[in-house]
Amino acid sequence: MTIAFGFLTGMVLVSALGVVISRNVVHSALFMSGSFLGISGFFVMLNAPALAAFQVLIYVGAVTVVILFGIMFTQRPQARRYRTIINRQFWAGLLVATGVGAFLSYVLWIEDWSSTAPGNGPREVSQLGRDLLGVSPGSEIFTLLYQVVSVLLLVAIVAAIVVSRRKVGAGVDRGVEE
Amino acid sequence: MPSQVQGVLDALVASPPLQAYLIVGAIMFAIGAWGVLVRRNAVVIFMCVELMINGVNLTLVAFADFLPNAGGLGVSYAVLVLAIAAAEIAVGLAIVLAVFRSRRTVNVDEVTSMRG
Repeated sequence: MTIAFGFLTGMVLVSALGVVISRNVVHSALFMSGSFLGISGFFVMLNAPALAAFQVLIYVGAVTVVILFGIMFTQRPQARRYRTIINRQFWAGLLVATGVGAFLSYVLWIEDWSSTAPGNGPREVSQLGRDLLGVSPGSEIFTLLYQVVSVLLLVAIVAAIVVSRRKVGAGVDRGVEE
Repeated sequence: MPSQVQGVLDALVASPPLQAYLIVGAIMFAIGAWGVLVRRNAVVIFMCVELMINGVNLTLVAFADFLPNAGGLGVSYAVLVLAIAAAEIAVGLAIVLAVFRSRRTVNVDEVTSMRG
């Protein structure tokens, strides 16, 4: 377990850093999918194999592809120097992010977790399904949350179509024009 | 000597404590926040927001596995977060495409028409 944990930690953190400091946007997207794969490995270690499968399907599959489409539609060839991709707050941002990470890590580290033990996750997929539908005791709130999320996904689909649609008679798409 | 070898083997087989997962999630959140703060490309900012969401998801699932009275419900919350993140990325990229179509740029420092 420790070897797997070390490997996945390195994969997740190196890929996450790669997203931020990579000069090529496509490389950022690929680093992002590597980071999501590492997270799904953590989910397997944490007794949530069904969630790991969702993670691979939705993040590594769908979100990465959608983002690659976005990159394909919006990128112009440009000089890829750090001055053009990173704004003036580089060191201030690093300071703030380091502070946030150090503070969170400190708080989580000094807390007493001695009463916890691994192995409480819903390893059975049927258990996860009952939790999501709010059937199992203690999870009744998910009856509501599940339907709210369903409506939200429908609204998001409609909104994405409406926002990104070209107006009727607006002529050639300006991004494709030249 | 065999006892030391056995100790090393035990340490390698033992499952990591809860703090380890939580700190990985926290560091991932911090890296994502750094990216949101310093990058100029709107698409890369979306990727960094996804990194932050994944750090929080890892924390949720770790708590669901380790806390005895949580009943594993954190995994269900993580599924909901996954769905909301997918919706967010769809709408966000649609907005980025609309902005690019009208302004020819996705650089967030150049889209300043709402600056007071």
